[in-house]
Parts: sequence; structure tokens; C-alpha cells
Amino acid sequence: MDILYLLIPLSAVLVLLILGVFGWAVFRGQFEDLDREGERILDLERVTVDGDQGPLVGQPEESRPIVSQK
Amino acid sequence: MTAAIAITEVVPPRALPTGPGAPLEVLDDPLEFDACTRWETAADGRQLAESRLQLSGLYCAACADTIEQALQAVVGVQAVSVVAATQRATVRWDPSRTRLSTLIRAVQAAGYDGVPDLAAPARELRRREYRAALWRLFVASFCAMQVMMFATPSYLAAPGELAPDMRQLLNWGAWVVTLPVIWFAAGPFFRGAWQQLRRRRIGMDVPVALALGVTFVASMGATFEPGGVFGHEVYFDSLTMFLSFLLAGRWLELLARHHAAEDLERALAKLPDTAQRRTAAGDWEQVSVRRLRPGDVVRVAVGQAFPADGPLLQGHTHVNEALLTGESEPLPRGPGGEVVAASINVGSPVLLRVDRVGADTRFEAIVAMMRSAMSQRPAGARLADRWAGPFLWAVLGLAVLAAAAWSVIDPSRALWVAVSVLIVTCPCAFSLAAPAALVAAAGGLARRGVVVKRLEAIEALAGVSHVFIDKTGTLTEDRLGLRDVRVMPGLARAAADCQARAASLAAWSQHPLSRALTAAGAGSMADDHWTDLQELPGQGLQARDAHGRCWRLGSWAWASEPAAALPPPFEARVWLSCDGRVEAGFRFDEVLRDGAEQAVADLRSLGLSITLLTGDDADRAAAVAQRLGIDDVLAAATPEDKLARVAAAQARGAAVAMVGDGINDAPVLARSDVSLAMGQGALVARSQADAVIVSNRPTDLVLARRVSTRTMRIVRQNLVWAALYNAACIPLALVGWLPPWAAGLGMACSSLLVIANALRAAR
Amino acid sequence: MVSNPSPAVPEYCDAPVRMFALVAVLWGIVGMLVGVIIAAQLTWPELNFGIPWLSYGRLRPLHTNAVIFAFGGSALFATSYHVVQRTCQTRLFMPRLAMFTFWGWQLVIVAAAISLPLGMTQAKEYAELEWPIDLLIAVVWVAYAVVFFGTIGKRKVSHIYVANWFFGAYIITIALLHIVNSAAIPVSLTKSYSAYAGVQDAMVQWWYGHNAVGFFLTAGFLGMMYYYIPKQAGRPVYSYRLSIVHFWALIFTYMWAGPHHLHYTALPDWAQSVGMVFSLVLLAPSWGGMINGIMTLSGAWHKLRDDPILKFLIVSLSFYGMSTFEGPMMSIKTVNALSHYTDWTIGHVHSGALGWVGLITMGSLYYLIPRMYGRTQMYSMRAIELHFWIATIGIVLYIAAMWIAGVMQGLMWRAVNADGTLVYSFVESVKATYPFYAIRLGGGLLYLSGMLIMAWNVLMTIRSGKVVSAPIPLVAAHA
Repeated sequence: MDILYLLIPLSAVLVLLILGVFGWAVFRGQFEDLDREGERILDLERVTVDGDQGPLVGQPEESRPIVSQK
Repeated sequence: MTAAIAITEVVPPRALPTGPGAPLEVLDDPLEFDACTRWETAADGRQLAESRLQLSGLYCAACADTIEQALQAVVGVQAVSVVAATQRATVRWDPSRTRLSTLIRAVQAAGYDGVPDLAAPARELRRREYRAALWRLFVASFCAMQVMMFATPSYLAAPGELAPDMRQLLNWGAWVVTLPVIWFAAGPFFRGAWQQLRRRRIGMDVPVALALGVTFVASMGATFEPGGVFGHEVYFDSLTMFLSFLLAGRWLELLARHHAAEDLERALAKLPDTAQRRTAAGDWEQVSVRRLRPGDVVRVAVGQAFPADGPLLQGHTHVNEALLTGESEPLPRGPGGEVVAASINVGSPVLLRVDRVGADTRFEAIVAMMRSAMSQRPAGARLADRWAGPFLWAVLGLAVLAAAAWSVIDPSRALWVAVSVLIVTCPCAFSLAAPAALVAAAGGLARRGVVVKRLEAIEALAGVSHVFIDKTGTLTEDRLGLRDVRVMPGLARAAADCQARAASLAAWSQHPLSRALTAAGAGSMADDHWTDLQELPGQGLQARDAHGRCWRLGSWAWASEPAAALPPPFEARVWLSCDGRVEAGFRFDEVLRDGAEQAVADLRSLGLSITLLTGDDADRAAAVAQRLGIDDVLAAATPEDKLARVAAAQARGAAVAMVGDGINDAPVLARSDVSLAMGQGALVARSQADAVIVSNRPTDLVLARRVSTRTMRIVRQNLVWAALYNAACIPLALVGWLPPWAAGLGMACSSLLVIANALRAAR
Repeated sequence: MVSNPSPAVPEYCDAPVRMFALVAVLWGIVGMLVGVIIAAQLTWPELNFGIPWLSYGRLRPLHTNAVIFAFGGSALFATSYHVVQRTCQTRLFMPRLAMFTFWGWQLVIVAAAISLPLGMTQAKEYAELEWPIDLLIAVVWVAYAVVFFGTIGKRKVSHIYVANWFFGAYIITIALLHIVNSAAIPVSLTKSYSAYAGVQDAMVQWWYGHNAVGFFLTAGFLGMMYYYIPKQAGRPVYSYRLSIVHFWALIFTYMWAGPHHLHYTALPDWAQSVGMVFSLVLLAPSWGGMINGIMTLSGAWHKLRDDPILKFLIVSLSFYGMSTFEGPMMSIKTVNALSHYTDWTIGHVHSGALGWVGLITMGSLYYLIPRMYGRTQMYSMRAIELHFWIATIGIVLYIAAMWIAGVMQGLMWRAVNADGTLVYSFVESVKATYPFYAIRLGGGLLYLSGMLIMAWNVLMTIRSGKVVSAPIPLVAAHA
């Protein structure tokens, strides 16, 4: 299984790279205020982008309360 | 005869001023907004402010967008960012084009509210802590998974199937991937162990650090020199998995702690206090209380707290010193009478001359006492800490013995048997069980109305033998209640009629006794029309009804005028008279909180001694104590007296819990082993206490105690389990019958079992 | 082709989105048509007509490449360019480079359509294309990465929406897989030899092959799912936190599932076992994603009744769940001993391909295409409904036929007499499979017809709409 001499170092390097990406994300605040980010793509007031000439087929619902409010 | 002061501000009945009612403009005082603002220089040289606000009223994530847009629309605002989860806004704005008060008004116009965020430094610390913990947890668990992949072939391969160089390649890969774990994720444990050893104590981090260190070094040796002194086996997978579990436990702990801290910070956030100060020209200006100097004259409205110590210059009023002294009755003060900073003006508007401000006030003196009391608080030894020491010594001893024995029997296995002993003995019970159980318990308590700030307090509460409870505001509500109405003998009038008329008249006054009369409810009175209303502080109310009769409500002397000199036929606090003829007397009581009697009875049945501590006078204290069934009472106590009592109990060996709400309770809260503050209590009490009973229910104190004892029972169960598990596995490891994968697996399963048991504490 | 934004209001660059979306429909038809042809050939081998370019051996890779890379790939390009712009609220980075990726990719497809029937092949599953086309793919892919990550780099919203993480991971991983697996020594312009040999090559091939499925056909389309389901349903993802955990959990276990393609081969036993174990582990994160997507409709299930696009999107997740359960089961060695080389494998692939990849693509394109032409709805909702039912019935026929055929083949091949001889000859198992090939052909025909209905609907939508530029909304600058 000599191919593992390629695949294993490759995967070790990949692990380090992935750690790097995650570290970048954590320390740049990508994992904070998550509840809001899920809803952001639905924000109709801002989004006029899809060339809508009428109401969207799926009407946006009222947002649900933030879980952390409890 | 003192001149009657006509009521100049006719306050509609039952509309009480709430809080200091500071106008927003105080925020534009640089002294105030500096605390929540950072300064930047823009590209064109302008000074831009970046201010942090604590928002309220957000109930969903979309509210954050609304607020962002509202702020963005203000001219002079450069950038806005709202974090919905913590209800905090960061605004970059140009002070030359707009003001902080304008920003807050924009938020209010949008339907929400905002105050300067003074907790920002604390929040920043928490954010850094959160990110670091998440990073470590990810590194450990991600790498653990990868290491497991590299390790699996060794487990699955039949003997001889895996060529030695292939095995070494896999071990090398596992080593490379373990390096980030040791470097980034294991730091806290090594640092903690080092700190503990330097203080010559065996804390929980020591066994963990030892296991990690030995395992890593030995595995690395086995990787690079297989067949050498470290043998063939590598344990990178056990190491990383174990560390992941530990970090997961700490992560949960951190989330709970941060959540509690945020809840409490939000509750404590408020606008800066202001005062109305007379200018040299004789006008009045609104200034931050921090700008007051001795000699200033300030106007204090009804419902406001006095901003400084000093004498009244003008006006008669009553002051509520309950939070400062525990005195449940408001005290009358007239010109020349001294008032204390932080007491509440409950009578009428007055003028105050500022004598002492800031650190020189009685309020600050109490706070200083509190700080010093905190440093003398007995250091509680945690249960887990007490076990960890002997445990570690035993494990180390056994490992050394094993190595010694095996070095004679079969030297090549000596080191690995010793290492197996270290690995299989899972310190997880100490490192995981206690924190997990405490976190779960804190979560369960928070759901029921008790917010725990310091997790160790749960453990301490379970060991408490003596409870000190404050009276005013803790066991009683912050108001008086009508006890009964007695009609004058010989008068043919229903008591209910008298009560209704008195309540109707009392609705026009803010005096605490008047409020009690109104609150008692009256039914409707046919004749509700009063004219010529007058109130004399210290005496009472007077008004004319629709038939022109003059009614008076107040002291005996006031009500029975001009037919004075006769003593009252029975004891009553307030009298009602019509045209000089006294009709009825009203008696009042402190209102006990719902469940207070039940709570005291429950605490006693749990075997705790209870002492009532209060700054109020002995009669009132005795009355309440009798109603509640408390034998031990300390009345008319200053904060120093209370502190002495608690210290004496501690000196006798009792573990003490203090429950209070007032400023005067703060030193005692700081000194006791466990402290709980009522949710409605003073700021300084709530921020000092280990837990806050946000529900204000005395029965929740009993609940907290029951949850603590149950939690500690669970922790002890886990320790017993750990002992049994170790007792079973160590002999197996010593004899060499426990293969490495079994040691690692056993540790993982033991950890999971312990966590699962700990989670029961949440119920 | 690339519109110049007016200096006053910046606009999204939707030309590549539009074009990729349309060719996705076109290549879908082409790829499925080839699939129908080869299904017919398996049923009636005379359909070779003796012509080399129509032989099954050459058309099969044309089918797989067309449906995976031409159909699936174009859909991924279209949706990733669309989603990254909308979620970052910024225009595509280097729009001309994006157009290059479009024409480059079409060139790859055309080159494949020519070279594969001509018999030019590297003979590696899903990597048959010869080395010049491999190079072109690498160039286009690097350009793709530049455009995609460049767009993220100039985002106006600081948080990177979860769909972009899936797209980003798929782009990077495919680049790595493609480059490593396609390493070859060219001998002539149309012939090369793999840099690896024997069982080593097999290992690399299935490390690539399974991760191509895992990242191209799963992670990429999960990115699609995480955007278009919330948009169509008008509700946020059920648990955004879970979607992030789901992403990282998938990344955790990506590397070692490959060997499950090589059970009972020359690959060492321990490597096969590792593949089995981690294929089973992969079940958990996959199902996490499925649950997250389906539960987005929690509290609004009634929408499924009336909205055929939601039907496509949600049912695709059910097939995803089914395939990601079936796959780990088939990785178990004892199960694999029965299923390997049988038509059960084909059934499994197609439940994932037709059920998950196909339906999620159709649903997403039905959302996307009208909006590229200034409309909110396709020309005919009833046609969408019809398409849904035809496609679903087609899928069910297909996979049921293949399951039965596969198990039957496995059982027939291993049946031994008391004296150790085989009960059945190979040709007997082929004969027994015949009716199921016919049924499968019927299922495939239905699926293709559904695609033709879609093409009609798309044409009518284009005719009744017009291309409008979409302005980028002003976003409050985020601290």
C-alpha cells in the first residue's frame, strides 16, 4: 500500500490547513450571533435583487424568537 | 401651624414615577459617554466615536435589522452593527454631526430601548474566552477524529498483516495530527497544573496534565524509535479523545457561565443617574451625578434616589432608607434633616445641599466594607479537589510500583504497564463530573427563576448549616399593607364605607401609607369628587367632598383637630375624620412575600438554623419573626453588626448562607460562604451575590438548596463510580491484562457514563 | 454579454448564472438521453448497431460524465455564482473570468462528447477524460476558485452564509482530488498512462471516486439546499447552528470512506475494514443535514401540498437520507459480499443521483430561472407538478428494479451446489435480469420525459419574461 506514503502526508497537511481555516473563522467572529444569520437571507426589506415583479411564491414567515431569549 | 403646601403636581392616582427618569441629554456629557466609547481617527482626520449600547426589547432576530436601519438613518452615523443574541449595538458616529442622545432616541422611536453598554469590557473578555474555548474544542475533536482514522488500521489488522513501515507511517501521521492538539488545546491543563503545583496543592489539572504529558512523550518515543525503551504502542487516539471530552465539559461550563453573566448584565444596565442642579443664575440644569460637588444645591423629585449625603434645604418629605438600613417605615425629614445618598425620596420634591459625594457617602462606605469582607471570605475546598490529591498520589505510587515490578519480570513492558495504569485511571470524574453536574444544575435553576453566577456556590449551598435572612425587601415586599379598619365605637357606619372613602382620598397622595390604602382596594365610591386637596407632610391629607364636608386622613392629632387632647380609643396608624369627627382608624402591616412562611418552615425541616437579620427596629422585626416562626432575631443592626454576627457563626464552624436585597446587606453577602440576592434588590447586592433569585420567591431559596444537595449527591455518585472503576481496572492494568485500546475505551465509556449521570442534575 | 453596471447603482453579475442554468437543463436532457440509450442497449444489445461510437462501453462514460459534470456541474456553477452574490451582497469577482469558466466548461463538455465515443479514455471511473481535457478542467477549476473566493473576499456582509462553506469546500476538494487522481504520463495527444499502477491506482481512484461523490455530488448540492429551501419555503434553516456543525462533521470523515469500493479485492483487508468503519460513521453527519433541511418546514408542512417546487426540494432530501443510509449498509463487508458488482450498486447510485441530485437541482432551477428573467414564477406551475410526479415515479421504478435485480444476481452468483459447483451460469443470471432492465428503461424514460417537460417550461418562461439587471441593495456597513 505504498500509495499511503502519498495519501497520509497529504491528509495530514490537509488537516493542518483545515485547522487554519477554522481558526481564521473563529477569531474573525464567523460563529457568533448565529440565529440571526440563518434569517438574514430572508430579509425582504433589503432584498430587491431578484427582479421581483410580484410577491414571492413562498411568503416569508414571521421570524421565530431567538432561542437564547429564555 | 405649619403652612400647608398645596399639591403642585397633581399626579394621577396610581401613576407612580418609575426610577430616576433621567433625561437622555445626560448622555451627551463626555464624562458619561466616555465609558462606553472608543475613539478613532478617520481618514480625513476627524475624530469618530465608536459607542456600544445595550439594547432591550428585541424578541427576534429581525428586530436587529430594524434597529440597524433606524440607527443608520441618523445623519452622522457611519456604521452600525447589532448582535441579536446579546442585544448589543456598536455604532460608529461623528460627534460633530450628531449626539448619543439622538441615537438612543432613534432606537426608542423604532420601538426599542437602549442604554450605554458599560459591561463592554466584561463582554469583550467573555468573547475572547468563548473564541479561545471553541478553537481549542475544535482542534481537539477534529484532530481526534483524524487520529482515530490513522489508528484504526492497527486495531483492525490481523497480526502481521500490517507491515512495520506501514504501521510507522500511520503512527507518524497520528503524531503530526496530535501536535496541534498538544500545542493549542492542552494548554489550559498544563498551565493549571503548573499553577497548582507551584502552590503545592494537587488540583484537578495535575492528573490530567500528567496523563497527557506521559502519553504523548511515550507515544512519540514509540513512533520514532519503535522497539526502544518506549515500546511499540502509541496512544495518540486515547490522548486526543480524552482531551476532547474534557474540553467539551469545559465548553458546556463556559456557555452556562456566560449565559448567566449576560442575563444579569442586561438586568443591571441602566441610564446614568442625573440630578437637577441649581446654576449660579438660579436656573436648573440636568447634570450627571458624577459632576456634583459639595456645596451644590440639587432638586430631588419624588421617586428619585438622593444623589449625595447632605441636609434638606427646603421641603418636607419622607425618605425610604430600606435598602440602606432595612428600616421598613419611611422616615420624615424636614429642612435641616440629614438624608443619605441612595435613599429614596417618597414624599414630595425637596431641595438638598450636597455635603458629601462619591466615596465619602455612607453608601460608598458600605461598598468599601463589602469589598474588604469579600477578601476575608473563607475559601471553600471543593469536594472534587479533596479527593484528587490522595487519588493522584495513589495512582502515581501504583504506577511506580508497577514499573518497578515489571522491570524485573519483563523490562520491555515496564514502561507501558506504568503508562496503562496512568491512562486507565480516569481523572474524568473530577474534571468532568463536578463541572457537568454544576452546569446542569445551574441550567435547571435558571429555568425556575434562580440565576447562579458562581457555579461553586451550588456546592457550597449544599453544605450550609445556617441561613441568615434579611427582612425588608427579602422576606417582605417593599410596601405596607392594610391590616384592618376599625370604626369608632358608637358610629353607625360600615367599615367598608370608611375604607372606600379613605382609599379614594388617599389616591391623591404618594405617601407609602396612602399607597397601601389604595392598594387594598376599595370598591367604587359613589361620591368620588374631591376639591381643595391639601397634604401636610408629617400630618395628613385634607379635602372637601361634593357636599362640602371637610374630610381629613392622617395622624390622630390631624384628624381629630380641633377636638384635640383626647387620646385615641384604640391603636391605629391612620385616622379618617369628617368635619373634625373621627370615623375610623386604619392599621398597617408589612406585607410578607408569598411563600415566605412556607420557605422558612421548609428550611427548618431541612435541618437549617435560621436567623433574621434586619436594620429595622426590634418591634417590627419581632412581629415579622413571630409570623414566620423564626426564633433568632437581630434587629436594629447596622451592616457592621450583621457582619459581626455572620463572622461569629463562621468562627463557630458553621457554613453560612446569606439572603438579602439591600445595600446594607452587601458586606454580609460578600462575607458569607454562599450569598443570594433578591431580583428586586439593590444593584450592588445583585452584582455581589453568588446567585440572584430573579423570581423574588422565597420558596425558590428552598428549591436552590434542594437542587444543591441533589447535585452533590450526583457528584458523589460519580466519584464512587470512579473509585469502583479504578479499583477494577488498575489491577488488570498492573497485571498486564488490559490492552491499550481497552484502557482508552474504558476511559471513554467511563467519561460518558459520568457525564450522563451529571446531566440528571438539570431536572 | 456581461452587463456594465451603471455607476449609480451596482448590479449583480447574473449572465453566467443565467447561462449555466440554461445549459444545465440542456445537458440534463443530453445526459439522460444517453442514459436511456445505454439502458436500452443493456436490454436489447443489438442497439449497438455494430458502430463503435455507439457501443455501450463508450457511451456509458459519456452518460456518467454528462450527468455528473455537464448537468450537475453546470447547475453547481449557476447556483454557486447566484448564492455567493446574494449572500455576500456583492457583485461577482472578475465577471470576465466567470464567463471564461462558462465557455471553458462548455468546451470540456463538448470535448468529452467527442472524445469518449471515439474511445479515448483513461479508464478511471468518473475520470475517463484524457489528459488535455484534464488540463483544461484544472485551468477552468482554478478560475472558478478565483471567482468564488474572490467574491467572498469582497463581501459586504461579514458573516459567510453556511451554503458558501459547502460550495467552498467542494471547490477546493475537487481541485485536489482531480489533480492527484489525474496525474498521468502522456504518450500522445489522445493517450496517457496513469501515474499510479495496480492496487495503488485503485486506491487513488476510489479515494477520488468516493470523494467526488461526497464533495461534488453531496457537499456542493448541500450548499444549494441550504439556500434554496429556505428561500422557497420563506423560512430560515431549522437550526443554523446545526448546519455549521453538520458542515464540519462531514469534513471530519471525508478521507477514509473510499476503500468501501474495493471490498474483497487486492486491497489489504485492514484498508477495507477502515473504509467500512468510516463509511458507517459518515451516516450521522449526513442525516444531520437531512433532518435540518426537512425540519425547515416544521410548522409549515401545508406548504408542501400546494407548492411543487418545495416538493422537489423536500423529497430530494428524503432520497438523500435513504441513500446515505443505504450506502453505509452496503459498505459492511458481509452486505457488500452480496452487492458488489451487481445492479444493486447501480440502484444505489441512481437513488442518490436521480433522487437527491436530480430533484434538488430541478427544484433550485425552478426557483432560479424565472428570477433570471424578471419573474417570480415559472410559466406553468402545473407543468412543474406534472414533472415532479413523473420524475418520482420514474425514480421508484428505476431503483426498485435495480434492487430486485441486484439481490437476485448476488444470490444467483453465490449459489453453490453440495459438491461446490456453481448452481447458475453467468448467462442465466443475465437472462433473469432482462425484465428488470426493461423496467429500469421505463423508469429512465419517465425521468427523461420529466426533463423534457422542464425544458418546455423553461422556454415558455424565457419567452414571457425579460432579462432584468438586479441591483445590489445598499447594506448598512458592518462594524
